[in-house]
Amino acid sequence: MTTATGGGFRLADAPMETDRSAGWGYVRQQGDVVQEVDGTWLLTSPEAVRFAHRHPEIFSSARAFDSLGSPVPLIPIAVDPPDHKKFRRVLDPMLAPRVINAMEDSLRAQVRALIEAFAGSGDCDVVTDLARLYPTQVFLTLFGMPLEDRDQFISWVETIVENSSRDSTAEPAPELMEAATALFTYLQRYVDHKRAAPGEDMLSRVLLLEGDEAWSNEEVLGLCFLFTLAGLDTVTAEIGFIMLHLARQPELRRRVVADPSLVGPVIEEVLRLELPAPTTPRVVMEDVEVCGTRIPAGSQVALCLATVNRDSEQFRLPDDIDLGQAESGHLSFGGGLHRCLGSHLARRELRLVVEEFHKLIPDYEVAPGSEPKVAWPSGTLHLTSLPLVFPVASR
Amino acid sequence: MRVVIDYDRCSGHGRCYVVSGKLFTDDDAGYGRVIGDGTVDDAHQADAARAIAACPERAISLED
Repeated sequence: MTTATGGGFRLADAPMETDRSAGWGYVRQQGDVVQEVDGTWLLTSPEAVRFAHRHPEIFSSARAFDSLGSPVPLIPIAVDPPDHKKFRRVLDPMLAPRVINAMEDSLRAQVRALIEAFAGSGDCDVVTDLARLYPTQVFLTLFGMPLEDRDQFISWVETIVENSSRDSTAEPAPELMEAATALFTYLQRYVDHKRAAPGEDMLSRVLLLEGDEAWSNEEVLGLCFLFTLAGLDTVTAEIGFIMLHLARQPELRRRVVADPSLVGPVIEEVLRLELPAPTTPRVVMEDVEVCGTRIPAGSQVALCLATVNRDSEQFRLPDDIDLGQAESGHLSFGGGLHRCLGSHLARRELRLVVEEFHKLIPDYEVAPGSEPKVAWPSGTLHLTSLPLVFPVASR
Repeated sequence: MRVVIDYDRCSGHGRCYVVSGKLFTDDDAGYGRVIGDGTVDDAHQADAARAIAACPERAISLED
């Protein structure tokens, strides 16, 4: 694979809308390390991305998250070593599988209720009727906030995400600042409330930390803010992608419905192919050579996880769902010390959606005449709409 | 042969104990831990291979 520099490449020009295989194939062809016209360096090969993951001292995450209009540091993604460890040591156990097990019954009942609301109607839009709603309910449940605030919450977060730019030097948009301020005011109210009267939720547990472990108010808000920015629209997007692939592949869907042990593998394969966060930003702290290309200190870098997941040397069928290659070590949750903090929770949400949806609606197809598309370019790769039609079971 | 986890590389994806619950388990933080001394008998060769392939960080290997 050759490396390219300059040449007018823009990630935004990749043909991503209807077919990510074409889009990421186009990106990978540009080379292992390629510079976009805006100056950002894109690392596309497994070797290049793994090198960055293993050298967080060179590839800073802290410097890379300035564009979201956050007045507090996004904890823990915008923290570099050695301070990063202080936060993950506390947070990882709060989002470990065995902790999520204790929440599963509640999370399952919630997703079931959302699906029941449209199961009798014969049609739904997966994005608006399910995928937008569920992750925010899970967040509110985890942080001990009222589910009635769901729709207001979603509105703020969508405004922030839609208006955030990959270019960290650009001025934040006014509507972004307005939504961020409103979200902050809301979160601060709950932080104050739970500091005074702690509950059993995750937010209360962080606020109860004492002594050397205690977090500042700014750090607590930063954690809440990161959860809302990184943990909601990403799961929303992935629910859409999984349902799209199962809708388009009825044979695969029937296998999964008949054999629950295939739910995990099919989720892993869709995660591999369809990444809500296909690239992750870093800033290089010193001159560095990656796969033969020199990247100067201070450069913006995007680690392209999506192309690594479709490596033709590793996968027999790099662009297809193949349950035989389901446990392939994909990088959809990132890698290195910034591995997605919510990965175990996200996987659980996806599994509960797939299980409950197919109990109520085992057979469905994309509504005739509609062609689901992703918004592109976009901070988070997601379907804008996924209308399905299905036979209504007589009860 | 024994399976070992390189904790300089492990970042807690947790795939090892999902695909190979006979050889790995999860700790309180959701990170993988080798069960016992990690000895892989003939019946679990495939389990070990699955876990090695499933680790996104390439942190699992076999040792004599």
